[in-house]
Amino acid sequence: MNADSTKVERRKLASKPFAKSDRIFFGVARVAAYSSFVIIALILIYLVGRSLPALQKQGLINFTFGSTWNSAATPETFQLGPMLWGSILISIIGVVIAVPLAISIAYFIEFMAPKAIAKAVTTIVDLLAAIPSIVLGLWGAFVFSPIAAGWAKMLNHSLGWIPIFSNPEQNFLRSPFIAGIVVAVMIVPIIASITREIFSQMDRDIINASLALGGNRESTFRKVILPTASGGVIGGVLLGLGRALGETVAVLYVLNISFNINWTDILQARGGSVASMIISKFGEANPSEVSALMAAGLVLFVFTLIINSIASYIVAKAQPWRK
Amino acid sequence: MEKVIDLTPVARPKTAQPWSKKSPKFLISAAAASIIPAAITLAFVGLAGMDFMAALIIVFLPIQVIAAALVGISIYGRRGILESLLVVATIFFSSFVFVLLGSVLWSVISNGAAAISPSFIFQNNYYIQPTTDLGYGGVGHAIVGSLLIVGLSTIITVPLGLATAVYLTETQGKSKGIIRTLLQAMAGLPSVVSGLFIYAMFIASGITTYAGWTGSLALIPLMLPTVARVTEESLRLVPAELRNGALALGAPAWRAFAQVTLPAAKSGIMTAVLLGVARVIGETAPLVLTTFAADRTNLNVFSGQMGSLPTYLFGYIAFGFDASIKRAWGAALVILIIVAILFISARLASRTRTKARK
Amino acid sequence: MSNLTYHLRAEDVNVWFGERHVLKDVNLAFPSNQVTALIGPSGCGKSTFIRTLNRMHELIPSAGFGGKVLLDEEDIYGDGVDPVKVRLKVGMVFQKPNPFPTMSIQENVLSGLKLSGRKNSNTEELVETSLRRASIWNEVKDRLNDPALSLSGGQQQRLCIARSLAMGPEVLLMDEPCSALDPGSTRRVEETILELAPEMTIVIVTHNMQQAQRVADQTAFFLSEDGNPGHVVEFGATEQVFEQPIDPRTNDYVNGHFG
Repeated sequence: MNADSTKVERRKLASKPFAKSDRIFFGVARVAAYSSFVIIALILIYLVGRSLPALQKQGLINFTFGSTWNSAATPETFQLGPMLWGSILISIIGVVIAVPLAISIAYFIEFMAPKAIAKAVTTIVDLLAAIPSIVLGLWGAFVFSPIAAGWAKMLNHSLGWIPIFSNPEQNFLRSPFIAGIVVAVMIVPIIASITREIFSQMDRDIINASLALGGNRESTFRKVILPTASGGVIGGVLLGLGRALGETVAVLYVLNISFNINWTDILQARGGSVASMIISKFGEANPSEVSALMAAGLVLFVFTLIINSIASYIVAKAQPWRK
Repeated sequence: MEKVIDLTPVARPKTAQPWSKKSPKFLISAAAASIIPAAITLAFVGLAGMDFMAALIIVFLPIQVIAAALVGISIYGRRGILESLLVVATIFFSSFVFVLLGSVLWSVISNGAAAISPSFIFQNNYYIQPTTDLGYGGVGHAIVGSLLIVGLSTIITVPLGLATAVYLTETQGKSKGIIRTLLQAMAGLPSVVSGLFIYAMFIASGITTYAGWTGSLALIPLMLPTVARVTEESLRLVPAELRNGALALGAPAWRAFAQVTLPAAKSGIMTAVLLGVARVIGETAPLVLTTFAADRTNLNVFSGQMGSLPTYLFGYIAFGFDASIKRAWGAALVILIIVAILFISARLASRTRTKARK
Repeated sequence: MSNLTYHLRAEDVNVWFGERHVLKDVNLAFPSNQVTALIGPSGCGKSTFIRTLNRMHELIPSAGFGGKVLLDEEDIYGDGVDPVKVRLKVGMVFQKPNPFPTMSIQENVLSGLKLSGRKNSNTEELVETSLRRASIWNEVKDRLNDPALSLSGGQQQRLCIARSLAMGPEVLLMDEPCSALDPGSTRRVEETILELAPEMTIVIVTHNMQQAQRVADQTAFFLSEDGNPGHVVEFGATEQVFEQPIDPRTNDYVNGHFG
């Protein structure tokens, strides 16, 4: 209708704070938020700064993958390999045990239990999450280890022909197996609560569709619920894995830390953990060893940072409503 | 079709759930499948003296699985196996967490109670040797230390977390996603790394030696994500109409926040603080690296080593003597009691929020 | 009426939710291989009733039921009847299209077999047959492996129909299948219903009176007044219910005086 062919320009609608008080208000908020960035950056800077001496002397590759740690040797050798693998091994065991447990619990709470029992189980899981790791370490060392060692013994006697279950010295305490179970106890709550949230947000319509087609509880779970929830559940599992890698005191008391690298003999009484090694060696370390421990902390930090970033990305994608 | 129907409602009869009527065959086999495995397990525990937790996993679980599978087959045919497996697995694992939690709580309470006494709570560790009898000395200094260190952390973290939550909810900033990712990254920070960080920044660089405030700083990255996240959720729960109402009346954003949103989210923020404190009060690694430990009460959080409950525990486990281990259990019990108080307070705080809304 | 056989009959059906009586004394016989529409204002219990026909009603925690539903003269609520087996014979299409999001078009069609543990040696043929019967074969035959969610709303609903048809049910229940669809898709689905009608008994809940007149051979009018439980006011041939209703309340409803 309009002969004049002026294009209609789109105006920017976002209003900037006008009053001075509001500018201060938003400014303060922004500064505080950026402090998160500052904290992470500072951690990286200081860790890298203090690790450089050790990394330069040992060489990054040697440090990360070598297998000797000896502050008394000349030259001093600090190498992380057995500890790095040990952390990974224990975390894998922890995740393997924790995931079926956590998913079963999430399914029970969300799809099976009557309301009162579901609430009770949820509370129990939250309480378990609240227990500090040193208390779990104490329990693990004095109460749980003997029991778990018994299980390990039975495992060894029945399935000892499988290489990972071999144990020539028949000493079952303080093994990666036991450490893995204790770590599992710690990460079950994380995985369970994320899985439960994903289950609760699932479209009930497709579950009804599955039942209307003649699916029973188990086939609906296996073929509809799990595949649909898989994205977020994997994210939750990765978050648990990240947490497992960083466990310090709980592992310290149930594991015999040894630089004689233990690749797969999970029932044997030697293992590694970067975090536990740091705290056990820190007290007596001389300055160059401290630098090496800093480097170890740096490696741990980078590892968990990567895993947790991937995990939160996956969880966020599976839960677009969280934005 | 011309029947005149009486339209008045009829009370629900007792037989209104025909699907829950189970055949005698089902009832008998279900009862057998529930009782027999339990009985066999109890026999192993009671008569053969097997440990309860071990018996649960090694005896009860396999037998229960087989029994349930048999019941499943008899009712549903072949499909019943997986179905019964799912039911058994979910119920068993959900109950097993009860057993785990119970074991932890029971061991801490029963072992720790032996150590708890007025002197344990109020005295400090001066003059105490690793083998000293439990009648002397205690964790008084550690309790004070923990409260001071965590208190300082809280004073710094709560405004920081609140302001961050404000940024995430009130502003239109473009970095919101990045900040959230950073908070997630911080949430996954291994606690020992936080300790190394503060050690590197303040102690190794010579600015200070072991002191209480460095421990407080080391706890901040561990506490901030929890406080920020829960605060953000509480702020989000405040209905937008309240805030918009204030804005429509001409109030500047900060007034709308301070006088409308904040009071409405009060209990949620309280919950956030309590949960944040509960999260860090048991943290050991950061404190071991920054505050070390002390035997006497040190009220100056800015200078000198300080005892704290986690480092006390840490030290006494290391000694290894009977008396030392007993003290460690005692300290563990004190930590758990504090965490329990914090948790119950947090629950009460969130209940006030729901009550206030009614 | 006496020449008709009845695959499905409801006898003295009563429904409670908790203590609340929501459906009273429903007696309906669904003639085989014909379409029966259930109409009535919202909230009068039509959707609740249709869920009693395939034992989906009991999935609601506070559900209560009385009476009988006879499928081939056997009460599906009888002792020892497996609800899962009932649903193999009585299929259901829901109001909102709900294809399984992680599955492709083809996998969705075959999903019923996987979920019920049924074996089939010729899945390709079954997929084509089901999609043809649902009037959607030509649109998807070249992209059977595409994700089901890549289809439009109307196509998704026809996919859900195909999915139910693949199980070969005797009865197909449809709970307002077109209310979430645009008019064009609605027309396609109604055409599908008319094509399927001679092969199976169809019961369709609908808000849309014109739709009932277009597709249904019989119509039942449900009503719940003054907080009383819902009940069937009138049931008969569609033409008669709409043009010469016996009950004055039916007359009011079909002439748009309320609802």
